[in-house]
Amino acid sequence: MAKFRLLPDEQLARSPFRQLWREFARQHSAVGGLLLFSVFVFLAILSPLLTPHDPYIQNDAMLLLPPSWSEQGLVQYPFGTDDLGRDLFSRLLVGARYTFGIAMITVIGALIMGLLLGTLAGMSKGLKSSIFNHVLDLALSIPSLLLAIIIVAILGPGLQNTTWAIMLAMLPQFVHGIRNVIAEQLSQDYVIAYRLDGANNWYVFTRVILPNIWESLTLMATMALSTATLDIAALGFLGLGAQSPSAEWGTIMADSLDLIYIAPVSVAVPGLLIFLAALSINLVGDGLRNAVKKRREN
Amino acid sequence: MIMYLLRRLFLLVFVFIALSVFAFSLAYLFPGDPLQNFTGLRQISPEQYALLTSEYQLDKNYILQYLAYLSRIFSGNWGMSFSSQQPLLQEMKMLLPATLELASYALLISFFIGIPIGILSAIKPDGVFSKLVSAVAVAGYSIPIFWWALLLIMLFSLGLGWLPTAGRIGVLYEINHVTGFMLLDILLAATQHQHEALLDALSHLILPTLVLATFPTTVMVRFTRDSILEVWEQSYIKAARAKGLSRGQVLYRHALRNALLPVIRQIGLQFSTLITLAMITEVIFSWPGIGRWLIDSIYQRNYPAIEAGLLVISTLVISVNMLTEILHTLFNPLARKR
Repeated sequence: MAKFRLLPDEQLARSPFRQLWREFARQHSAVGGLLLFSVFVFLAILSPLLTPHDPYIQNDAMLLLPPSWSEQGLVQYPFGTDDLGRDLFSRLLVGARYTFGIAMITVIGALIMGLLLGTLAGMSKGLKSSIFNHVLDLALSIPSLLLAIIIVAILGPGLQNTTWAIMLAMLPQFVHGIRNVIAEQLSQDYVIAYRLDGANNWYVFTRVILPNIWESLTLMATMALSTATLDIAALGFLGLGAQSPSAEWGTIMADSLDLIYIAPVSVAVPGLLIFLAALSINLVGDGLRNAVKKRREN
Repeated sequence: MIMYLLRRLFLLVFVFIALSVFAFSLAYLFPGDPLQNFTGLRQISPEQYALLTSEYQLDKNYILQYLAYLSRIFSGNWGMSFSSQQPLLQEMKMLLPATLELASYALLISFFIGIPIGILSAIKPDGVFSKLVSAVAVAGYSIPIFWWALLLIMLFSLGLGWLPTAGRIGVLYEINHVTGFMLLDILLAATQHQHEALLDALSHLILPTLVLATFPTTVMVRFTRDSILEVWEQSYIKAARAKGLSRGQVLYRHALRNALLPVIRQIGLQFSTLITLAMITEVIFSWPGIGRWLIDSIYQRNYPAIEAGLLVISTLVISVNMLTEILHTLFNPLARKR
């Protein structure tokens, strides 16, 4: 075998992203998860245009209409109506915006803040980084929901405060994770080579470290996204997050909990949607993790 | 090793100081009068106000206030609960064992079910069983716990009528609060209906434990499986195979011992999630533990209770974290080197 090849293998000649996608697309569950995930993203962006009825309008002529598959149901109201005559199907569609959309916003916010703080922590040395680590250890040891509850207790319940609370509660794990991957990168030979060439911190960070850690960042973000979705729904369900008229999935469940005997659908379906959203995120995350691992092995 | 322990101890002290500073500052961060938030008294007369202000040193600077706060914490004067006007420490002692009982049973289930399943599914990573386990695990990982709890209640309590929906024990039985752990208390209380009471308490335990155990069990399955698969690639496994050991011997003597070590640390890492989930489970099953009490405290704007709850739960989580880390280092010489 020749030691030097002018043209490498066809496989290796592809860009890292193409290689990753190739490994990702081989896993059926991951592709299925990605499809479901795109549906939820699509709903979160476009759901107000898709709803057949206004999700907040109360129609007292149609209270507690059963779902359309039962004898008394109407086909215009696929999942029936709730105790205020609001169309459940429209509410669920809009709910994607709250539960799923806001989870994405919190994760993006936490990721940006985490990248900032994690980089500062990872690139600093000595006493500063040691103090920082200890504060992080404290923040990591407080359960995220408890932290969110305390923030909600200070700020008062509501969707906006929940968003901040979950963002802040997720921040420590992002900072911790990002600090670790950056510290790992800094000890690599190619970083030292760049340093010897006279590259400053900023250059090393943007040109060398960032391209090498984006896979880890994506993995962290997917894991955080599923946690955020479940946390927002849980806070909504406990009555601490989104407040009652808004169509957040957890809040819808809490609202219809007293009707569980009469209208079990209105409890079962929002829960199913939360489950599917978290499942799709986790499937994509798992697929990505496997793909990254396989790409590294090749 | 002693250096390591000392370093950990120093870290622990630091974390506890930071935690108490945070809990102390909450009295100022929460809405309302700091003195009310510290004492938990609803109505304070002007004379009493002056007296308490000097006793709590609220007229001094923050550092003296904090020191006074610390001495109160250590002397057991945690203030009153806004809603019940009972001493918080007393309430805490009643509530914490219930949460610990629930959480520890769930943790035990996650060990005794999660680890064996993880091992079995790692034997043939591409087999049907392993694929099935992975699918179930990812589902268990993503299920919203309150929905799962409601589904089980709908099926087993409302549909089939097998299991009760709420509480720790039927109202018929009167069990004295000794240790706070229901099953132990029943065994200690020598009543004539001990057997029935035990069965009743167990039937109350099944659903909450099952719900709470779902997440840690799936985490344990995934973790054990990944850990074993990773160890299986190591060269010492190849060496053991090359020596002629059978698959089972290699698994038992080399793979398991190395793969299960990180599991100890996993307990510490999962403990905070477990407590979070326990809070939601308690709300749904009306389990009289610290989580339900905390969430009720928010509805009632019971700030002293939230503060005390934070202190107790965080102390618990930090201690478990530290303990598992020290145990892990004790058992794993490789971790001691760093």
